[in-house]
Amino acid sequence: MALTSADPTVKRSGVPGGTKARRLRDSRVFQDWLFISPQLFLFLLLTLVPFIFALPILFTDQSTFNDPSVNSVGWANFTAVFTNESVRADYFPALRRTLVFVALNYTTIYIFGLTLALLMYEFGIRRGFFTIIYMPLMLSGLATGYMAVMLFSQQTGTANLLLLELGWISKPFDVFSAEGTAFLLPLMVGWRFAGFNMAIFLVGLLAIPTDTIEAAIVDGSSYWYRLTRVYFPQMWPSFIIASTMALIGAFSVFDELVALGALYVNPEAKLLSILFFTYGFQINRLALGMTLAVITFIPLIFVGIILLRLQRRLEYR
Amino acid sequence: MRALVDTAQTERPEDERRLTYRRRLKVLNAIAVSAMIVYSILTLFPFYALAVRSTVPTTEATTLHLWIPEAEEVNLNAQVGNLAVFYSLDLADLKEALGIPQTDFLGARTSLQDLIDEYDLGEEEVQGFFSGFYTWNGWNTVLSSEFFGALMRTVLITVVSLIGLTILSIFTGYGLAGLHRRDQRIVYSIYLLQMVIPAMLILLPQFLMIQWFSNLFPGFSQPGLTRTGVQLGSIVAINVKGTAFSVMIFTAYITGLPKDLEESAMIDGANRMQYVRHVLLPLLKVPIVGLIIVQLPLIYNQFLEPFVYLDPDNTTLLPFIQSTVGVFSTNFQVIYAAILASILPLLIVYILFRRLFVRGALAGAVKG
Repeated sequence: MALTSADPTVKRSGVPGGTKARRLRDSRVFQDWLFISPQLFLFLLLTLVPFIFALPILFTDQSTFNDPSVNSVGWANFTAVFTNESVRADYFPALRRTLVFVALNYTTIYIFGLTLALLMYEFGIRRGFFTIIYMPLMLSGLATGYMAVMLFSQQTGTANLLLLELGWISKPFDVFSAEGTAFLLPLMVGWRFAGFNMAIFLVGLLAIPTDTIEAAIVDGSSYWYRLTRVYFPQMWPSFIIASTMALIGAFSVFDELVALGALYVNPEAKLLSILFFTYGFQINRLALGMTLAVITFIPLIFVGIILLRLQRRLEYR
Repeated sequence: MRALVDTAQTERPEDERRLTYRRRLKVLNAIAVSAMIVYSILTLFPFYALAVRSTVPTTEATTLHLWIPEAEEVNLNAQVGNLAVFYSLDLADLKEALGIPQTDFLGARTSLQDLIDEYDLGEEEVQGFFSGFYTWNGWNTVLSSEFFGALMRTVLITVVSLIGLTILSIFTGYGLAGLHRRDQRIVYSIYLLQMVIPAMLILLPQFLMIQWFSNLFPGFSQPGLTRTGVQLGSIVAINVKGTAFSVMIFTAYITGLPKDLEESAMIDGANRMQYVRHVLLPLLKVPIVGLIIVQLPLIYNQFLEPFVYLDPDNTTLLPFIQSTVGVFSTNFQVIYAAILASILPLLIVYILFRRLFVRGALAGAVKG
C-alpha cells in the first residue's frame, strides 16, 4: 500500500508529462474507451454524422447527388407538403397507404405471433413446428414480394388457381390491385415474421412466474380470465418491444414493394419509403425527398424512444 | 360413520370430473396439434409452390401445377431464332449437340424441320436436345457465371461482416460491461437509438456522405479494383457498425460473468487485450451464436444497400436477382427459378443448423 502510493510521487517529480500519459494509459476509463471507440466511431459516422452533412441541404433545391447549381430556398421544402400540388399528390396517398400497411401489419403480429406463441406455450414447445414456423424468416423481402406475386397474380397465381379449383373462391385475388396490395402484402409480411414474433411473445410468456398461473388454475378461472388478468399484464415488455419493431420496420418496408413493381409499374405499392427513394435517385428531387423523410420520421423516432423507455422501466420494475 | 358415507358419495363424481377433464385436455391437445399442422402446411406451401413454378414453362402458367410438369415435345416448325430467344439458347451449343459444323450459319427463320432435312438428323435427337429446355429453361438461364459471381460476393460480404461485427461488438460489450459509469450508459443509449431510426431515413444522407468519402480515393471514378474495393468496403462498414441488439447481447452477457475472473487474469499478468482473447472469447459462445443467427439472414438478404452502392456488374445476389427479373420480366419460369436460387443457399444453412437457430431465437429474443 505504502509502496504503490509512494511510487507515483517519485515519478511525478521526475518526468511529469510521461507520468500523466502513463496514468492515462493505465486508467480503466481510458482502456474502456479504447475498446468502445472502433465500433462507436463507425456507428456515429454512418448513423448520426450523415445528418450533419444533410442538414444544410434541406434548405436548398439540390436535385441530384451531383447537382452543379444549388440555390438556397429557405423553408420551402418544409412547407412543400402543404403548398406544392405535385408533392401533395405524391405524399398523401403514399402516407395513407403506409398507415394502412402499418395498422394491418400490426394486426398480423398478434394474429400470427401471439396465437402461435400461446399454442406453443400451452401445449409444449415442439422443435419441429418451431423450425417450420421460423423458416420464412430466412427469406429476403424481395423473395417474399415475389412469392406474393407467384401466389396471388390474377391469372397465374398458384394459390388463386388452387382456390378456384377447390371452389373456395369465385373470383381470383389480384395482388396488383389497390385492395390486393393493401391486404396481401401485410399478410405475406406477417407470414414472414411469424416465427420471429412468436419467439418474442414466447419469451415473454416463459418469463411469467409459474406460481401466479398455478394460483389462477387452482382458483378455477376461465382461460380468458387467465389471459387478460395473468398473462397479458405480465407481458407488457414483450408487447412494447414487438410494437416498436413493427412500427419502425413497417415504415421502412422497401424490398417487398420493389418486388411488387413499386419503382416502375405498380402505383398501388408506392409507400413512403418508395417515395423517398424515387425522389432521391430517380426524379431529381433530392433535397425535397430528404426533407419529407425528416418530417415524417422525426415524430416517429420520438414515439420509438418513449416506447423504449417505457419498456425498460417495465422490465426492471 | 357419517363422514364415511359422505366420502363414499362424493368420490365417484370427483373421479368422473377428473376423467372428463383429462379427456377434455386430450381433445384440446389434438386440436392444438392439428392447428399447428395446418399452419405448418400453410407455411411450407409457398416454398413448395415456388419450387414447382420454377419448372413450369411460362406458356403453362395459367393452369394449376402442383408437380413438375411432364416435358412436352418441341414443335418442329418452330424457328431457331424464336427458340433461341425463348429458351435463352446459345446457338453454338445447339450446333455442337446436333453435330452441325460451327462454321455453318443458321438463319433465324430456319425451322427445326429444315435442320432435320438439311443435316439428316433424327427427330428424336432434336427432341432430346430440347426436352431439357422445357422443364429446366429457368434454371439453365439463371445458373450463369454472373449468378455464381454475385453469390460469391454475397458470401464474401456476409462472412467478413459477421466476423467484423462479432469482434467489434465483443470489444464494445467489454468496454461497456457493468454500465457503472455515466459515459458507458450514454454510449449504450446511443446504440439503443439504432432500434428506432428507420433505415429509409438515413439512406439518402448516408449515400451523400459515402459518395463524398469514396471520391477521396484516387481511381474511384473509373471501374477497377479501387472502385470495387471501396464499394464492397462501404457495405461491410455499414454491416459492422453495430446494432442495438449486438451491443445489448454482449454487454448483458459480459456483465453477467463473475468479477473475479478478470481480476485473477490480471494477477496472472494478462493485459486486457489478452484477457479478451484468451479468457473472454471462449466463454462467449452463446452470445456469438445468438448474434450470428440473427444477423446472418439480415446480411445475406441485404438488398437496399448493395442496390444503391454497388455497380450492377459487381453486385451481390439480391440486386442481381432483381435485374435478372427486370430482363426476363415476362418469363415467369426464369423469375421464379431466380428467386428460388437466391433463397436456397441460406435455406440449406438453416436446415443444417436448425437447432442453433431455434435456440438462438429463444435466447436472442430475451434481450430484444
